[in-house]
Amino acid sequence: MTLIAGRDLKKTYHLAEQEVAALRGVTLTIAPGEYVAIAGPSGCGKSTLLQLLGGIDTPTSGSVELDGTRIDTLGDRALTELRLRKIGFVFQRFHLLPVLSASENVELPMAEAGMPARVRRARAQELLEYVGLGARARHRATQLSGGEMQRVAIARALANRPSLILADEPTGELDAATGAEILALFRRLNAEGTTLVVVTHDDRLAAEAGRVVRMLDGRIVA
Amino acid sequence: MIPLLLVLALAPPPPQSADSAVAAGTARPVIDIAVERRLAASLGLQVGDTVRIGSAPDSLSTVARVAAVYEPPADPATVLRRDYRVRLHLPDLAALLGTPDRVDRLGLVLQPGVAADSVVRRLNAAAFGYRAYGSREIASGSSQTFRVISRFHRAIAVISVAASAIFLLCIMLLKVEERRLDAAVLRFIGIRRRTIFLALLLEAVIVAVVGSMAGALFAFVASAATNAYYQHFFETRLIFSMVTPGIVRFGVGLSLLLGIGAGALAAARLVRTRPLVLWGRG
Amino acid sequence: MDLRWSFRNLRRHPLRTVLSIAGIAVASAMLCDMIMLSGGLETSFARLMLLRGYQIRVTPQGTLPLDSEATMPGITMLARAIAADPDVVAVAPVVATSLYGSPTPHSALLTLFGYGIDPANQGLYQLESGADLLPGDSLGVLLGAPAARLMGAAVGDTIALVSQLDPQVAGAAAERRLVVRGMVRWLYDHEGQPSVGTIVPVMQALGGIRQADRASVLMVKARDGADVPAVVARLRGAHPGVEVSGVDDLVRHFRERMVYFRQLALILGTLSLGIATLLIGTLLAITVNERLPEIATLRALGVSRRSVIRDVLIEGAALTMAGGVIGVVLGLGTARVLDRILTSFPGLPAAFSFFVPRPGALAAGLAATLTAGVLAGLYPAWLAARAPIAATLRAEAT
Repeated sequence: MTLIAGRDLKKTYHLAEQEVAALRGVTLTIAPGEYVAIAGPSGCGKSTLLQLLGGIDTPTSGSVELDGTRIDTLGDRALTELRLRKIGFVFQRFHLLPVLSASENVELPMAEAGMPARVRRARAQELLEYVGLGARARHRATQLSGGEMQRVAIARALANRPSLILADEPTGELDAATGAEILALFRRLNAEGTTLVVVTHDDRLAAEAGRVVRMLDGRIVA
Repeated sequence: MIPLLLVLALAPPPPQSADSAVAAGTARPVIDIAVERRLAASLGLQVGDTVRIGSAPDSLSTVARVAAVYEPPADPATVLRRDYRVRLHLPDLAALLGTPDRVDRLGLVLQPGVAADSVVRRLNAAAFGYRAYGSREIASGSSQTFRVISRFHRAIAVISVAASAIFLLCIMLLKVEERRLDAAVLRFIGIRRRTIFLALLLEAVIVAVVGSMAGALFAFVASAATNAYYQHFFETRLIFSMVTPGIVRFGVGLSLLLGIGAGALAAARLVRTRPLVLWGRG
Repeated sequence: MDLRWSFRNLRRHPLRTVLSIAGIAVASAMLCDMIMLSGGLETSFARLMLLRGYQIRVTPQGTLPLDSEATMPGITMLARAIAADPDVVAVAPVVATSLYGSPTPHSALLTLFGYGIDPANQGLYQLESGADLLPGDSLGVLLGAPAARLMGAAVGDTIALVSQLDPQVAGAAAERRLVVRGMVRWLYDHEGQPSVGTIVPVMQALGGIRQADRASVLMVKARDGADVPAVVARLRGAHPGVEVSGVDDLVRHFRERMVYFRQLALILGTLSLGIATLLIGTLLAITVNERLPEIATLRALGVSRRSVIRDVLIEGAALTMAGGVIGVVLGLGTARVLDRILTSFPGLPAAFSFFVPRPGALAAGLAATLTAGVLAGLYPAWLAARAPIAATLRAEAT
């Protein structure tokens, strides 16, 4: 059974006077509950592949299916809905909203999904406790450490109970110890059944994954 | 004599020639009048036409011949009223109004070298039923309306300058803060605060200079448009708006001062902020 | 999406927000002032005309009330004929002339302005102290405060009114000694105008032959509920030799005379709206540009374009609303200053105002400012919503 599949994905960027082929025909299928790491040197197309799988970007050619439905041909509204309810994103630079508290950042996707305020506040607290930050719920994002911010970002990604978490270099901005905390969290998530696809340079993170996909020059090489 | 009110109507030529009627002593003599251009245009009058004229609508007893069509001097005191005016010989008007030997005012021309003030004083000392004024005093009194308008315009200008100062400060602040990350990186790599400040100030100077020049140009265009519009609207040759070198100097000077001042304030604020804070990590 | 993001973003850069609100407040104040000026002139004028309920004025043909020294002849018969109209309840003749006063027999003459009135039907003054003139009181006079000050007279004093001066004999052809019955406020006088009032025959006598059975204006009051324009049309038809004007006609003439102020109000009001729009648009464009990575993140998380647009517009609307409300208060204050300047026009009735606050109009002005603020935010909001998510995140990562 396949949760998400990318077939013969190609992506070309037009920059000034040159064309850059970020992906040169990548096919990848991921089953529910898998923990997949995508590794490779800088510029190999890892983040581009992740963005195509997550519906953030559209391929130049090829297709992406989520739960059997092609998503690369969906309009913006449908893709947005997909990202809101079925996919959670974790970014290298956290991208929390600095003017909101940790709890409010986690509540954001739930508010967008129309969850009543009381319900989403309770769930946000629950998620923050899950990531070990229950006591920091009211702190502003700027008052948190890097590791804490990434854990809030993970809690936010889990807000609407997505079937898939996509993480782009989640430990890229963190020190080893903090990175290890994130690894532990991902381990726990996957153990509880969440499908994870993680782009990483970090060998430890890659080692945690059930499957490692190696990329080079826009292709999967292993 | 200033006419109180005259009623004027187009009249056909009298049935017998006016001159022969006068010679026969059977009719009032035809008088000559000069008609203002606007009135002539609105009634379709030309030199030689005759009109009936009187001091009441039901007593247009006097026939007048249009001897001239004249353009009155542009008088800002009367332009808004848009009254129509005609000129008569003084005895004719006095006869028409039934007020012989009566005028509203006398204008005096003094001998060269005679001081008007002393003449005014002498006349007023012996005056009964009249008062003497120097022309300057009259002009000052009658220009009171324009002084009020000038004060009003000045008040509007003060509000506009205040608004402009706030806008400039706001815009400059925004523009400078847009360069926050650039400024942070420059500070990280060792560029001095002073260098960054001067660079931002130079940008503010250029924007202020170009903006001031554009503003001055716009003022000339707007002034020309204002004059063209109101001269057409009021059918006059009065100048309603004038952009003088002094006004340009004041406007450009003030806008340069505000623009550069606002830019300097914003730049100073930026360079005083710690680079990490600018970067968003402090 | 959570509206807290919109409002908290405004607090992110407090100085920027405060300056923007201040800028909008000043523009909004100017807009309010121009709204008060444009409609205020006519409102104030109409109010002035209707102070005592007289809706119609009859004046010499081609003139406006007290606009010239012209007078109408045969005023007794004319007033009677007008009063015979079934919709007319009162006709108040007014004789206006300049004359001189003398506090004591040998003191210097003071220039005064005289009103001849019918005390039973008058629309020119309000009694402030003392007693009103009685019909037929040929020995009484009413003084306004400036005239009383000039003459040094009070209720009960006797003053001399003279006219038709002859400089050659240094005398006056007409003189009356009158007792001050009361102090009044002349409703249509300019500040400091030294006016006195007697019954019509007395003022006509002071005016000599030139004023016999003549008046400067007839003020006509129609009954409550009467169709005033119809009454005006009837009177015009019946009396073609005079000018009959309803308040609407007078307001129209007045509007033409004040065209400069109306046009100025329109131009400055439009400019103010334009400037507020420019300021909001620039502010939002810059702040949206700064927050593009945040916005891209939100879009990546599933926040819809509509939510992003809405939140940017809310920011613009919040700024505009705050500035607009402050602007209304500021505008009311500056209007008083500007009104004080303009009401010092020579010859303008003291009861007249240029800037008249009308709640409906001010609310409309505030709504216009708010609309401008929202519209100004449309383009930046659209840019924010259309920003490509991947490219923006990529750019932010480099």
